Amino acid sequence: MSSLRPHLSLDRLGSVIAVLIGVALFASPFVVYRANRIVAGEGRMLTAALPPAGALGIILTGIGVALCAALLRNPLPRLAAAILGLATVVPIVGWSATFVTPLGNTFARVSPGLGFWLLALAFALLAADALTRLRLGPWVRLAAIAVAAGAIALLLLSGAWNDLSLLKEYANRADSFWQEARQHVWLAFGSMAASCLVGLPLGILAYRVRRLRAAILQILNIVQTVPSIALFGILIAPLGYLATHVPLAAALGIRGIGAAPAFIALFLYSLLPVVANTITGLNQVPAAVTDAARGMGLSPRQRLWQVELPLALPVILAGIRIALVQNIGLATVAALIGGGGFGTFVFQGIGQTAIDLVLLGTLPTVALSFATAIVFDAIIDLTRRGPT
Amino acid sequence: MIEIEHLTKRYGETIVVDDVSLRVEEGTIAVVVGTSGAGKSTLLRMINRLVEPSSGRVLIDGRDTLSIPEDELRHRIGYVIQAYGLFPHRTVSQNIATVPRLLGWDRKKIAARVDELLDLFQLDPGEFAGKFPHELSGGQQQRVGVARALAAKPAVLLMDEPFGALDPVIRSKAQDDLLAIQRRLGATIVLVTHDMNEAFHLGDRIAVMDQARLLQYAAPAELLTHPAEPFVEQLTGTAERPFRLLSLTRVKEALEPGDAEGEALVLSTTLHDALARLIALGKDALPVIDASGKAVGRITVERILAHGRLPA
Ligand SMILES: Nc1ncnc2c1ncn2[C@@H]1O[C@H](COP(=O)(O)OP(=O)(O)OP(=O)(O)O)[C@@H](O)[C@H]1O
Ligand SMILES: [Mg+2]
Repeated sequence: MSSLRPHLSLDRLGSVIAVLIGVALFASPFVVYRANRIVAGEGRMLTAALPPAGALGIILTGIGVALCAALLRNPLPRLAAAILGLATVVPIVGWSATFVTPLGNTFARVSPGLGFWLLALAFALLAADALTRLRLGPWVRLAAIAVAAGAIALLLLSGAWNDLSLLKEYANRADSFWQEARQHVWLAFGSMAASCLVGLPLGILAYRVRRLRAAILQILNIVQTVPSIALFGILIAPLGYLATHVPLAAALGIRGIGAAPAFIALFLYSLLPVVANTITGLNQVPAAVTDAARGMGLSPRQRLWQVELPLALPVILAGIRIALVQNIGLATVAALIGGGGFGTFVFQGIGQTAIDLVLLGTLPTVALSFATAIVFDAIIDLTRRGPT
Repeated sequence: MIEIEHLTKRYGETIVVDDVSLRVEEGTIAVVVGTSGAGKSTLLRMINRLVEPSSGRVLIDGRDTLSIPEDELRHRIGYVIQAYGLFPHRTVSQNIATVPRLLGWDRKKIAARVDELLDLFQLDPGEFAGKFPHELSGGQQQRVGVARALAAKPAVLLMDEPFGALDPVIRSKAQDDLLAIQRRLGATIVLVTHDMNEAFHLGDRIAVMDQARLLQYAAPAELLTHPAEPFVEQLTGTAERPFRLLSLTRVKEALEPGDAEGEALVLSTTLHDALARLIALGKDALPVIDASGKAVGRITVERILAHGRLPA
């Protein structure tokens, strides 16, 4: 139908995005002002949040992007519009913070408001949709995520956001931020590495020995259903016992609370996706291929390394990706039992009702998950050869 | 030479191959035919020990295959299956190089062998060497499958319905190619098929199996003239038998002295084709020439029909 009247037709997602932008521009506070970091905030509409030129700039950009989203079909200009929108709104919210903060007042806090978030969401949706429609190759996607990471780093280093509450929270805790960041990465990626080390051989074993398969999967399935807090709790008792009774364990830093139970819990959670996907991946190697490999005299080990694992690799990597993204999110919970990580800020923030501190823990976690997912998807595409 | 002696395979109570003995002479093609589930593939797979026999043994060039480590045995036996089983993550040349690489051939020798085989199978190395299996047509995949099986110059080639997935035209070309290559390389081949035409076209000897048993193992003509059991007669197509027999016999064998009017036939023409020409031209006789074009006699409808007669 739309092809009959291409010039008048509205893009469905684009229209939704346009409405979002409209609500963001004219019906939502662009920033939130607080007299100090824990009191309730008051919203500032665009016109009050920026000098007239800035407000006008955002409004014009927003309307322009909304029109592109609603009327244009070609993904390239849509992508360009989305990037332009993000590149305008994201730095300007920092300017707005400077503008709204009374001169010399160090207690006042300004955070992005609903309007900013809606605009960012609308532009990000538009960009994501355009990127999907463009069907970019894996290398281009890797380059894109590198550029995006670079742009964010540049923004933060430039100081444009320094007056935002988020960065003020960061400035007060710069040292512990990076320490928790390292801890978070170690918890999420280290436990993932451990579960690959255990899960891959376990998956291969379950694939080779059919009788073990159901049992292994069942046990891992049960582990998966235990809520994370409960699992942390369950692990505290035996590890505490271990720490008090085995000197070596204590020397290794294993204690009832802290990083050890968190690490082990994440390890256990990520085991199922790795094992299950290893089995699935190996199982879907065509029977004719394994038969031919056997018939040509490849030993079981040669078959595994040269034929079965390479063909199962995309599926195995997909399992690792799922587990890793899940781990990055779950690792925030580790803070509850003293395991550290970005969760520390989240729970501190909740305790102090300081939303910006919560954001300081949440935003890096989300960014890390997002980047990991994109990088892994690209790698999976690169390993996928031939029809599967 | 392959000698199969009292080979039996049981799965639990069911006997899948029942006391089969046969011998495939050096450099010949033995074709195994039979209904689905007769045990043909199992018999074939016991030769390279993909299936371990329950009893009996297989000798290759006089050596019991059980005395050879199974991987080593398989390196020396080419194996082709209906689905080809090409490695989807490897290029055509990497696929072909599989066994030579396992055997530790040096790089140059492998590259030369791959090029040689691609040439032999009319696949231009420049175009095909770097392609992946999913970029090939079915016929090309089939040729790569056979090339891969021949890569390490095996003396024995096992083929399980190697042409089963090809259309009739490509299929008959692939059969002719196989014959030409087999003559050139002198390999001993055991080939399983459902297609009786293929069996008569390719087989020096044909083994007929039914319900795990080997009913008859004989030259194609003998299968037609002296079927051991009604099932063999039925499988070869009761009505088709005289025509198949004519297809197996050449003009040379029915030649009589004398002369005839019309377009000459060559000595190597099959009687089946000669008869077709005679019928089409409405003649009783045609002159016959040899390969150099010299007249050597004539062929008559009467003589041809006599050759198609089956013993009562
Ligand atoms: N691993 C196995 N376990 C149990 N039975 C088997 C096994 N492999 C084969 N069979 C049985 O052995 C019989 C012969 O199988 P085989 O594959 O040799 O038949 P075939 O003659 O090659 O048939 P087709 O023409 O359909 O390929 C079949 O009834 C099959 O079900
Ligand atoms: Mg079969």
